[in-house]
Amino acid sequence: MPRTASKKGPANSSSSSAVDLFRSASGKAATKELERIDQLYYSYANNLSGMIDPEGIESLCSDLKVDHTDVRILMLAWKMQAEKQGYFTLEEWRKGLKALRADTIIKLKKALPELEKEVRRPSNYVEFYSYAFRYCLTEEKQKSIDIESICELLELVLGLQFRPQVDLFVQYLRTQIDYKVINMDQWMGFYRFCQEISFPDFSNYDAELAWPLILDNFVEWVRSKQT
Amino acid sequence: MLMDGNRTQDLRRMYTLFSRVNALESLRQALSSYIRKTGQGIVMDEEKDKDMVFSLLEFKVSLDKIWEDSFSKNDVFCNTIKEAFEHLINLRQNRPAELIAKFLDEKLRAGNKGTSEEELEGTLDKVLVLFRFIQGKDVFEAFYKKDLAKRLLLGKSASIDAEKSMISKLKTECGSQFTNKLEGMFKDIELSKEINESFKQSSQARTKLPSGIEMSVHVLTTGYWPTYPPMDVCLPHELNVYQDIFKEFYLSKYSGRRLMWQNSLGHCVLKAEFPKGKKELAVSLFQVGCVLCSCMVAILSMMFSSHSNHVNGQYVIQTVVLMLFNDAQKLSFQDIKDATSIEDKELRRTLQSLACGKIRVLQKIPKGREVDDNDSFMFNDGFTAPLYRIKVNAIQLKETVEENASTTERVFQDRQYQVDAAIVRIMKTRKVLSHTLLITELFQQLKFPIKPVDLKKRIESLIDREYLERDKSNPQIYNYLA
Repeated sequence: MPRTASKKGPANSSSSSAVDLFRSASGKAATKELERIDQLYYSYANNLSGMIDPEGIESLCSDLKVDHTDVRILMLAWKMQAEKQGYFTLEEWRKGLKALRADTIIKLKKALPELEKEVRRPSNYVEFYSYAFRYCLTEEKQKSIDIESICELLELVLGLQFRPQVDLFVQYLRTQIDYKVINMDQWMGFYRFCQEISFPDFSNYDAELAWPLILDNFVEWVRSKQT
Repeated sequence: MLMDGNRTQDLRRMYTLFSRVNALESLRQALSSYIRKTGQGIVMDEEKDKDMVFSLLEFKVSLDKIWEDSFSKNDVFCNTIKEAFEHLINLRQNRPAELIAKFLDEKLRAGNKGTSEEELEGTLDKVLVLFRFIQGKDVFEAFYKKDLAKRLLLGKSASIDAEKSMISKLKTECGSQFTNKLEGMFKDIELSKEINESFKQSSQARTKLPSGIEMSVHVLTTGYWPTYPPMDVCLPHELNVYQDIFKEFYLSKYSGRRLMWQNSLGHCVLKAEFPKGKKELAVSLFQVGCVLCSCMVAILSMMFSSHSNHVNGQYVIQTVVLMLFNDAQKLSFQDIKDATSIEDKELRRTLQSLACGKIRVLQKIPKGREVDDNDSFMFNDGFTAPLYRIKVNAIQLKETVEENASTTERVFQDRQYQVDAAIVRIMKTRKVLSHTLLITELFQQLKFPIKPVDLKKRIESLIDREYLERDKSNPQIYNYLA
């Protein structure tokens, strides 16, 4: 049985020099990579604040040949676990680019399709979806997002997968007057709704279950339109 | 058809016939839908609200008679009548409860000449039967309490015995928790009588209160009485002095209590000297601030409200306005407003009561029904009236539509707190509970009518405030967040 290399185990004396060599080589490469990543960062960062700000992001986007409203930028932010909308810190940048193994603009651009595939995996998507909401909370104690922004976010994040549901829900949100903001619970509820409820008949929807009230109202609105 | 016409004989024949062929069930159903339909007509007609209670009482009486005469007091039919009534009276949220409370208020208020004690008792019993059908009893309680307070404080009860009889009926019906506060109100009134007696004899009253001033104070306990919104007003100096004298007396007897004057319900009788004759004016305290050149505040009814133990309320507004004219012949609206600090809408109402109604103690320049910003007021030199004692305080007893709406609002707000508390209580015990089970439990625990939609709203609000969360693996389940 081949001996499995263990990171924590003591280095086997016979191959220690090889391991060391490998380590130092990969170490050097890693350091070089990190340097390039940092350099790339500073090419977009604002000199005064030391962060990449909206302007920097715009310029990054044009270099990537991707619109700054493209969902892939949001996915990049997710990969970085960026906290503040419109800004990337050095830590976040490093985290994201290291995970993508991208230390140049070209490599970053090439990594985008893979990134998208990764995000769209069902196990990741719900996390991405919830991240998208949090990312849009700009004020400190903010817990909800205004209707218009939610409509845009829904388009961005669910438009591809659930086009008809999103269109209808967005229409509802823009016409109704009961809600001025959407909170996380309602946001997540809608994703579950898209996944579980048959469309467009909603035949398996039961308002007596724990669906958020806004969805009860949405279904009622759709049904009243249909009659 | 037959029912409307009260054709008891025909109905009786019908009943006998149907019972012979075992068809009573269909008769019973017809009865049920008749009652529901007719009742719905009475309850839902907003324009006839004034007569709703009376019509319902009459309707019930006629049904009972028919039950007796034509339906042989059949038990099942009796239940049918009850169920149908319960259904129809709750078709309209809150309004029937409010109207029943108002109806009782009218009956219990003084001025009901010609109603014997027995008749009154009979009416109270019949109204109680209606009350039994109401599902939102807390609405009734809020209105009844408010009206009772006014009757007690302004001395408007027709008979204290009748009042107490009503309370004990409510107690039998709803338990003592329902009537505890109401009974507390009576105790306060009686206690206040004793306090006033000792006050009169006290050294403070005898040495410091000027002769010719008679003062009585109602001392109320916070919590028993409805909450009165604080009415800001600058009292004339004399009134402040009298209040302090009483306060000194009271605190010497009951130390450790906090007293707060509630000026919204005080009333006074002012002895006024008009050029054309002396008069006694019964006015609210706010009206007093305005009038009189050589007035003596003859009788002041004031109320103290204490923070920890006692509460009270009285209208002082008219008095305050009238007394301003002690020192000035003519005052502008703005002058009066500045001097009394009375809230704008309230002040306009008060000035209207003094200058624009039948009894014009003040003159408004220019004349007219409405009080505008640029108006001025003058003491009415030419005032005459046939009676010696005149009532100028008609405002106090009438309630505005706003007041009633806010009472109902408060009941709803209170219900919301109760729902929240129930949800937290249940979740704290169960820790984990499914949505449907939570809803079932809530319906069991809550004593007032509520819709599942409203329960969902409160659950979501509690999720938002992080008292509970949806379970990550099963969104139908809630977890309690400690």
